[in-house]
Amino acid sequence: MKLDRIPLIGQVINSGADDRVFDALLLAGPLVVVVLALVGRNLVTEGLAAAYLAVFVGYVLYIGLVH
Amino acid sequence: MNGTAATVGRDIGRMLEALGGLVLVTAFVALVWSEFYVLPALVVSAVVPLGIGYGLRTLFADADDPGKLHGMMVAAAGWFIVAVFGSLPFLLIAWTVELDPAVLAAPAQTSTLAAFTDPLNALFESMSGFTGTGLTMTDNEAVLPRTLQWWRSFIEWVGGVGVIVLTTAILARPGSGSLTLYESEARSEKIHPSIVSTVRTIWWIFVLFTFLSITLLWLVGMPIWGAINHAMTGLATGGFSITDNSIATYDSVAIDFALIPIMTLGSIAFPIHFLILRGDLKNFYTDLQTRWVLGGFTIGSAILWAMVYFGGVYDSAFQALRYGLFQFVSAMSCAGFQTATGDISTNHANVALGTWPAEAQLTVVGGMIVGGAAGSTVGGIKLIRLATLSKGIYHRITDVFYPESAVRRLQIGDRRLDESAARREFEEAAIIAALWFVFLGVAMFVFLLILPDGVYTLENIVFEVASAQGNVGLSAGITGTSMPDLAKVTFLFNMWIGRLEIIPVLVLLRAIFKRGGAYR
Repeated sequence: MKLDRIPLIGQVINSGADDRVFDALLLAGPLVVVVLALVGRNLVTEGLAAAYLAVFVGYVLYIGLVH
Repeated sequence: MNGTAATVGRDIGRMLEALGGLVLVTAFVALVWSEFYVLPALVVSAVVPLGIGYGLRTLFADADDPGKLHGMMVAAAGWFIVAVFGSLPFLLIAWTVELDPAVLAAPAQTSTLAAFTDPLNALFESMSGFTGTGLTMTDNEAVLPRTLQWWRSFIEWVGGVGVIVLTTAILARPGSGSLTLYESEARSEKIHPSIVSTVRTIWWIFVLFTFLSITLLWLVGMPIWGAINHAMTGLATGGFSITDNSIATYDSVAIDFALIPIMTLGSIAFPIHFLILRGDLKNFYTDLQTRWVLGGFTIGSAILWAMVYFGGVYDSAFQALRYGLFQFVSAMSCAGFQTATGDISTNHANVALGTWPAEAQLTVVGGMIVGGAAGSTVGGIKLIRLATLSKGIYHRITDVFYPESAVRRLQIGDRRLDESAARREFEEAAIIAALWFVFLGVAMFVFLLILPDGVYTLENIVFEVASAQGNVGLSAGITGTSMPDLAKVTFLFNMWIGRLEIIPVLVLLRAIFKRGGAYR
């Protein structure tokens, strides 16, 4: 089954910047927020939040450099 | 029923259906927070616009596609009607708690929530939310039910991108009609050739940035509920808060500085975000508006810092930087978050905006009037018009120094406009700027007439009116439930015309008065 045929996920993949990393960040966003809300603040969740932001910033810089 | 009414009615029906859907989403939040007593009010608030919307859309299903006139009338009437129906959750939840039916086990009434039993206050809050203004009728947001805290943030978040953009994204209708409506909602830039693809990409970017903003705010110490709400209202440059004292409640340097990039993201046009996400980072400095946004934030903040530091408002250079930078970015991005809220007589570490020196308040007003980039979530006149006006005026003046036969072009960003295109764009920018100041003047006149003598200074009134019309939401202390009803109605009008850049509202009013025979 192709991912872009799944409702909602398909819409995310077919919109935006046509980039799988950004699509993945968008789809992971709700999960990250739910984890932060349910688990609360600890070293692991702070690491998760920092990693989420770092992947975005790092990837924007990376594609900017290779563009 | 004539063709115009059918077209307008059909498209307003679609907007009302989308609004009903938003209320149903909010019911989920009520369930999460176990605020079951709000559910009947939310169901009514959803069913009424859904029913009316469905009726209008079905009745006028065969209406023609909207032309330019219809588009403007749909935008103006639609935004007003959405604000009216969007006030139902405020009104009905407030009355639910006021009447306290035993079966619902509602909590005790608070003076904050009781303010919304007045329909005018509920409408004010709704209009302020949808237009992304952020001026509020509440005196302590922290005691509102979580459902209403969410509803305030949610309508600002949706309003930041646009109700029509939302409707087009959900109820996709390819064709020229969608483009006309899109353009009538103070947007013109397209990301893709298809308008439906464009609005879906706008939402894609907006949702991604929202999750990033929530994560950033949480990481710097904001509790998760605050992070969710403030990320939504910060990115939408709306400025509603869930705390008693806006962002000042947290009194955190890290949170203050984390909100700066979030408000900045909201001030940059979506097509530029799209290009940057495709790796074209040079748009940060090659795009005229983005360059001016970043330059405006830097220069304005530096001037404000100098005024509040050397003017003796703050004792330390860092405090002056912290509050000056935040408040200027908050003003020019039209977010309206407030950190400068303290009492100057007791606290020199944080001084309320309304007691800053007149020149500092007027500097903030300058930022509020100009706003950020067209095609973003901000209000104000917009930087592209400031650029068009300033370059156009220079072009006209220097024209005298060239021979009559000279062929000159007006360069705005990467576009080189010929004489007729330059004249058309300059004229449009001049008309909107002139109308902007006319309506600012009218509102100031009303406020000078109706506010009690000696309580507020002229700069306070200029500040508050510019804040309402620029959809900013910073307050010098005038806005509140105790404000005269005429002042609330005046601000309702200012917020409405500010969001739609005036012309569509004037077109709607002309059509209403002409058809009603009020003149001619």
